[in-house]
Amino acid sequence: MDATDHIPVTILTGFLGSGKTTVLNHLLRQPELRGVVAIINEFGEVALDHLLVESSEDRLALLDNGCICCSVREDLIQTLADLASRRAAGTIPPFHRVLIETTGLADPVPVLHTLMTAPDVVGRYRIDGVVATVDAVNGAHTLNAHGEASRQIAVADRLLVTKTDLVSDEVLTRLEGRLAAINPIAAQSRIRCGIVDPAKVLDAGLFDPAARSIDVVRWFENASHAANHRDRSHHGCDDEHCDHHGHHAHHASMSSYGLVVDEPIHGEAFARWLQNLATLKGEDMLRFKAIINIAERPDQPMVVHGVQHVFHPPITLAGWPSADRRSRLVFIVRDIPRDVIENTLCKFVGISRAAIQRSAA
Amino acid sequence: MHMDRTFADAVFRNGRIYTSNRQRPWAACAAVKGGRFIAVGEESDMAPLMGKGTTTFDLGGRMAMPGIIDIHNHIMMGGQADLYELRFASSDSIAKIAEAVHRAASAAAPGAWIVGGQFGNNLLGDLNTAESCALLDAASLGHPVILRDDSYHNRWASSAALRLAGVQADSPNPTDGEIGRDLKTGTLTGLMIEAASGLVERALAASGHYTAEMDRAAVARSISVLNSYGVTAFIDAASMQPIMAALKGLDDRGELTAWAVCAMPVVEPGFMFGKSGEELFAMREQYRGAHVKPDYAKMFLDGVPGAKTAAFHDPYIADPVRGCCFRGATMMTVPELIRWLGRCEKLGLAAKIHCAGDAAVTQALDAIDVVRSFNGPTHLVHQVAHASYIAPDDIPRFAELGVAADLSPIIWYPTIFLEAHKAAMGDERAQRFWPNKDLKKSGALMAGGSDWPVIPIPDPWQGIEGMVTRQNPTGDFPGKSLWAEQALDLATVIDIYTIDAARAAGLAQTIGSIEVGKSADLIVLDQMIFDIPPDRLADTQVEMTFFEGRQVYQRT
Repeated sequence: MDATDHIPVTILTGFLGSGKTTVLNHLLRQPELRGVVAIINEFGEVALDHLLVESSEDRLALLDNGCICCSVREDLIQTLADLASRRAAGTIPPFHRVLIETTGLADPVPVLHTLMTAPDVVGRYRIDGVVATVDAVNGAHTLNAHGEASRQIAVADRLLVTKTDLVSDEVLTRLEGRLAAINPIAAQSRIRCGIVDPAKVLDAGLFDPAARSIDVVRWFENASHAANHRDRSHHGCDDEHCDHHGHHAHHASMSSYGLVVDEPIHGEAFARWLQNLATLKGEDMLRFKAIINIAERPDQPMVVHGVQHVFHPPITLAGWPSADRRSRLVFIVRDIPRDVIENTLCKFVGISRAAIQRSAA
Repeated sequence: MHMDRTFADAVFRNGRIYTSNRQRPWAACAAVKGGRFIAVGEESDMAPLMGKGTTTFDLGGRMAMPGIIDIHNHIMMGGQADLYELRFASSDSIAKIAEAVHRAASAAAPGAWIVGGQFGNNLLGDLNTAESCALLDAASLGHPVILRDDSYHNRWASSAALRLAGVQADSPNPTDGEIGRDLKTGTLTGLMIEAASGLVERALAASGHYTAEMDRAAVARSISVLNSYGVTAFIDAASMQPIMAALKGLDDRGELTAWAVCAMPVVEPGFMFGKSGEELFAMREQYRGAHVKPDYAKMFLDGVPGAKTAAFHDPYIADPVRGCCFRGATMMTVPELIRWLGRCEKLGLAAKIHCAGDAAVTQALDAIDVVRSFNGPTHLVHQVAHASYIAPDDIPRFAELGVAADLSPIIWYPTIFLEAHKAAMGDERAQRFWPNKDLKKSGALMAGGSDWPVIPIPDPWQGIEGMVTRQNPTGDFPGKSLWAEQALDLATVIDIYTIDAARAAGLAQTIGSIEVGKSADLIVLDQMIFDIPPDRLADTQVEMTFFEGRQVYQRT
């Protein structure tokens, strides 16, 4: 699949009160956002959001059916399809990007699934990335209290830690460590008053074969780094004041890990393995990304990206982002032991055990 | 210090009780309280348990053993056939079948269906002609007639039945089925292969021919037949709603005299109609009873070898319809099976997978291998049903993957089935049938079953003898053996029908052996089976059958 002519879609998610609307409001005023269509919700506090961003009305499409979640997937498909048709017919100004804001309570996964699977959508749009706002003041509490918050973080490509001016560095560092433990792939940024560089939100570039494949390498390095970091922090966390209990209650079963495979991988067997992984373990696989050295096409790596049981159609890159041509796979999972991944790769894909390394070089 | 509650309700004494417990294979006595064994041992162990209210059964030195488990039957059909259907032998000729139909049609109420069986699989070719069709139509006197074959996968229907089913000369074949048409004239013959059977069965079901009360009576009738052969537990191998409703209805009335495990089809089988898969699974708790366990799912991967609908690695013998290289096909792909297995394991359902051909067995094992590798160990015991044609490389995989071999139907000796298989794939291949010894040596868990009414009588003693002798115990095919080196010893075979079957059915904690704490399911035999020549095993008569300590059968 060649994704260059597809309209990139950025998903902005974040828990209630995490500063998501402030970020959106700031973004929509930036010149870089010219030509961006924002799809926001008209529901509860989000109706208020609408007022806040009304100056950008000509760039808005509104869902009139509440939150963007499973119940309105059809609306989202409809809205995206309409937008593309109107764009093609010239009845709305040309746009080159879509920004979807989800409600604070929404699980972003159904939105991602819609973008990855709906026939009317897949052919015209591509997911650029998921951006999640996390409130520095209440973030830790929200994570303890709401499972959806962890899921929003687990599927994000970028995390914007907001209200950083209101807490100490120590609190901030601890929150960042915790976010990295949930999602080592995501790049984190600290922001104040919703002021964020559009470049930090847009062009996550994960599916852009043209320029940003270097990001694939970046998220892999993040994953390895965070995994190590978390091992250390677990070690150091034995004093009574450590918030270990809450930690355990919500994330004990969530983990992330990366694998490097230093031999070409048989494409068909790998595709079958992925299908089986999604079928049997999809529910517990929050996020999966990989760049794969396909034996049949060693010069054109394949990028695979999955959210739970749904995989984005694999993307073939024109070339390797660096001299490192090893396959790299990163998993954010709940209760899927790393051994299961390694053993099944060896057994069903024919990868030799010796070719698998557990940490990044 | 002896309070009433320490006394046994019943004590079996003076017996030669084979326990199926390898730690302690023999005992003279067993005591029962509240439907469970509370002591197994010698006379001296019983004395403290004897109270005023204790009933004593003097076994008079006769052999007793645990109730037998039938790992695969169709519990409603046997009783339905007994009570409501026209019966004829699978060796009967087409002319003889037509005579039987004519007699039934002459006596039937106007417009009533005539349901019957089972004709031999070997007749399929001869039935698929305009001449045979005319014969059946003449015999049926205008009644809708549906006759099932001995595999239960195929039907022969009268033209009146085809009309009610809306089948016409130009009706397309359903997926995984074939509407029989005369090779020369192209006219309908009434032969309905596999899924095509459903077209006529559906019309029968829609006619209201069977009621819920008839269903309960049919199941009760079947179970009393099983009890008479010493069977006190079974897996119903395709449990649709009416069957589970009948079982639950009997259990609620205290009239269910066997443990009933239900295997719910993931898709509608070709011979039963109604809800299946998720819809059926969602209802399972409403049918659960003290003795009704809806804890299995049923998948059909292929058909039967005789009709060339089983999936094999090597091709069938060439024929004009299928050409030279037909191997049969599976009805579910490996990824689909993996998806179902994954779903079933999440729901706590074990799978019973119908695999009649060796390629179907391979696919089932491949799928289970994937699921085990991703999901890790499970307490669920999946079963390959009809584990009979198995590629040599697949034999050790049963034990490796913890998959049980469901040995059914009882045809591990020369039978008319074997003759049909020989016609389909040649003598040599057809006879590499039921590698029971190889499975046993590889450590596979095995369980015996009848597949009643595929075999017309669910008599496990024929199966037990046949597993030991590999010869037909009825006297048919005299002097002939089927792959004699696959014979098993009697103690192993008894395990296969008791404790190993209990393990395969997920009930090893409750049934399968005579041990303290287990259900007091015990049968008394007319002969000491370990002391007789193997070719007399099938003559064994069950004198008494006890289910949870309650006598449910007495030989008269």
